[in-house]
Amino acid sequence: MTDLEISRAWLVDPAVGREGPGEIVVRDGVLTAVTWLEGAEADGVDADGVVVAPGFIDLHTHLREPGNEDAETVASGLAAAAHGGFTTICAMANTTPALDEPGVLDRVRAAGFASGSPVELLAHGAVTTGRTGETLAALGELADAGVVGFSDDGSPVRSASILRNALAYAGALGLPIVDHPEDQTLTDGAEANEGFVATVLGLRGWPVAAEEAAIGRDLAILADVTRDVPGARLHLTHVSTMAGLDLVRRAKAAGLPVTCDVTPHHFALTEEWLAGARRFAWDAGGGDPWADDALVTGPYDASLRVNPPLRCPEDALACLAALADGTADAIATDHAPHTEVDKAVEFGLAATGISGIETALGLVLAAVDAGRLSLGRAMAALTTGPAAILGAHTRRGGTGVGLVEGAPADLVVFDRSASWTVSAETLRSKGKNSPLVGMSLPGLVLLTLARGRVAYEGPTGD
Amino acid sequence: MSAVIDGGATPALVVPSVDVAPESQPVGWRHRHLLDVDGLTRADLELVMHTADAMREVLARPIAKVPALRGRNVTILFYEASTRTRVSFEVAAKNLSADVVNIAAASSSVTKGESLVDTVRTVEALGAQMLVMRHGVSGAPYLAAEVFGGAVLNGGDGWHAHPTQALLDLYTMRSRLGDGGSIGVEGRKVVILGDVLHSRVARSNIWSLTAAGADLWLCGPPTLLRGFDAWASRGAAAGRRFTVTSDVDAALRDAEVVMALRIQRERMASGLLPSLREYAARYGLTRERLGHARPDALVMHPGPMNEGVEIAPDVAIGAQSVITDQVTNGVAIRMALLYLLAGVHAAGSSDA
Repeated sequence: MTDLEISRAWLVDPAVGREGPGEIVVRDGVLTAVTWLEGAEADGVDADGVVVAPGFIDLHTHLREPGNEDAETVASGLAAAAHGGFTTICAMANTTPALDEPGVLDRVRAAGFASGSPVELLAHGAVTTGRTGETLAALGELADAGVVGFSDDGSPVRSASILRNALAYAGALGLPIVDHPEDQTLTDGAEANEGFVATVLGLRGWPVAAEEAAIGRDLAILADVTRDVPGARLHLTHVSTMAGLDLVRRAKAAGLPVTCDVTPHHFALTEEWLAGARRFAWDAGGGDPWADDALVTGPYDASLRVNPPLRCPEDALACLAALADGTADAIATDHAPHTEVDKAVEFGLAATGISGIETALGLVLAAVDAGRLSLGRAMAALTTGPAAILGAHTRRGGTGVGLVEGAPADLVVFDRSASWTVSAETLRSKGKNSPLVGMSLPGLVLLTLARGRVAYEGPTGD
Repeated sequence: MSAVIDGGATPALVVPSVDVAPESQPVGWRHRHLLDVDGLTRADLELVMHTADAMREVLARPIAKVPALRGRNVTILFYEASTRTRVSFEVAAKNLSADVVNIAAASSSVTKGESLVDTVRTVEALGAQMLVMRHGVSGAPYLAAEVFGGAVLNGGDGWHAHPTQALLDLYTMRSRLGDGGSIGVEGRKVVILGDVLHSRVARSNIWSLTAAGADLWLCGPPTLLRGFDAWASRGAAAGRRFTVTSDVDAALRDAEVVMALRIQRERMASGLLPSLREYAARYGLTRERLGHARPDALVMHPGPMNEGVEIAPDVAIGAQSVITDQVTNGVAIRMALLYLLAGVHAAGSSDA
């Protein structure tokens, strides 16, 4: 087990809402001391250097095992998670076969155990058998086996009737339905966010209304179900639009049991990237990369094909605003690794998804550096926010996800004064499908400790 | 020998002498590929027009052939059915004495065997030095250009671009409206009428016509204009103005050029239009509707036409129609572009 002392770092503990200069001591994998420095002792320590935070939790990770181990295995996915600072991840159910019965969960868990990774591996079960949207999966058996929620992600729960039943049934089991909000009758063949950039590039439009309409439907059904099943819960994943987030904001204000997450790529990147721009949402100005002379590379980079699509700058900034005001409970990565074969094709034929669990922190810190998000709020959205959605289903639920003295050390140490270059070599994931390849990101992870063990140790960590 | 033309405010234009190999003379063309029209400056457009003039002279000769691209392999790779564009490229390349290879590829996808990247590498290994490509997926030529060592000419990709069509359209307008020095569309009202949404011709014409200073209008049913208001509002801020409307009478009023676009039956199946009959009644370019335009307005169509739907038969062959000119000019424009791109490639420029 690990022994470690970090002195004069910037500690962030979202569980108690505190951040500041401090020191930690880990003995035999246990966080034995957390000391906040005051007065003169704190001089010279700021938030721009080494930061210690609780290990991150990802509510939305695609691992591809079983079925597509060329794209990612449980082992490579856990290694990527640790490199990104994550110590708990929730695998999505869209494997082949789908995670719709406990046998598949057993296989995933066995692969996790065999990997030797200390990263906590949780999983969502499918809502419907085979994710086909027709009949309910083995929800009760999956709950008994320990899934943390139910999702047909990759697809929405298409049938409103099935969704209604699933919310009620899962609600009684104490678990949320995690929906991918997309009205697919509006997105048939869609390639890119409908609007200026898609029109210029001749890409089939993916309207904002497809997300807004789906969220509206989901919320109406949730309101209906909660009258009979007070425990029913809905989590909306990768919400990407201002309109969708406004609906969630209003539903929360009305007291509906709904939560949501946004992804780093939806708040930092925009549709402009499809044209060949490489500036962050907050630097996009009017969002006309042709007029702004902002085109720095070629168009149609298939690594940018993702569901939901990268939106306009206003939508990206709305995602950041939703994190700031708590409308968005969590940052989730929607880590979606793909093989070169599935991505080195025409844009419209490429698989959807971005390999993102290792670049999430970098994009978060870019937003923090730009003054668009506070460090404390960002760390909360990566730790306490998702933990509240998981409840007792994470092993850290018992002692809390903060920097808790006496608990097994579950933390990430990163250096905000250092940066790293994203490349096929630096990414631990088998999925190299990141639009950030070749770019430099702020914040170098030095060390990730999960359950008191080293999950990742960087080249300069000691 | 090259001719120098004083282009007024723009730098002097050096038009190549097209009887000799392109790499033997300095020409101000810096694009390695022709993938889109968005990167073409006003000066680029002028150069293409003047080079096409020289090609028109070649076409007027008893033997319409020059040795400029002798020994060069031009491979024409079409993933979509086409007669007009494919034959036009083939005639253009042969007029320049190139060796032409034609490949009709089944619509490719990852599930149907060879990927586009593999196909392009194979074609290059078989000797292709210039690749003319048509593909049903927007952006596909950019992927080809990433792996192909020579020049890629986009012969149409999805809904995105059809650069040679836009350039031959501009050339056709210039030949009727220009005064020799200028392109001649500055300030003139040009209307593109029909299925703008699915049209790579319309998209490429937006770039070329706004660059040339035309007063451009896009007109069609609202379902077939989706997204173009967003483009118009950003474009206006960037000095590329055009107007988007479903009001066909307002669009045609005092127009000097009217270009009708092909309407396809699939649009009914996907619920974008009630019927072809209704489309013809409301948006078809009829003699009566053309009466709103200037009496000498040019009538254009990129082909193939559905006569009686988007254009009435008497309008298509009427005195104002320049539709067959478009076809003839297409050969000259494609000769010009093959010639200019061959020069850049031989000279080893890397600007894409």
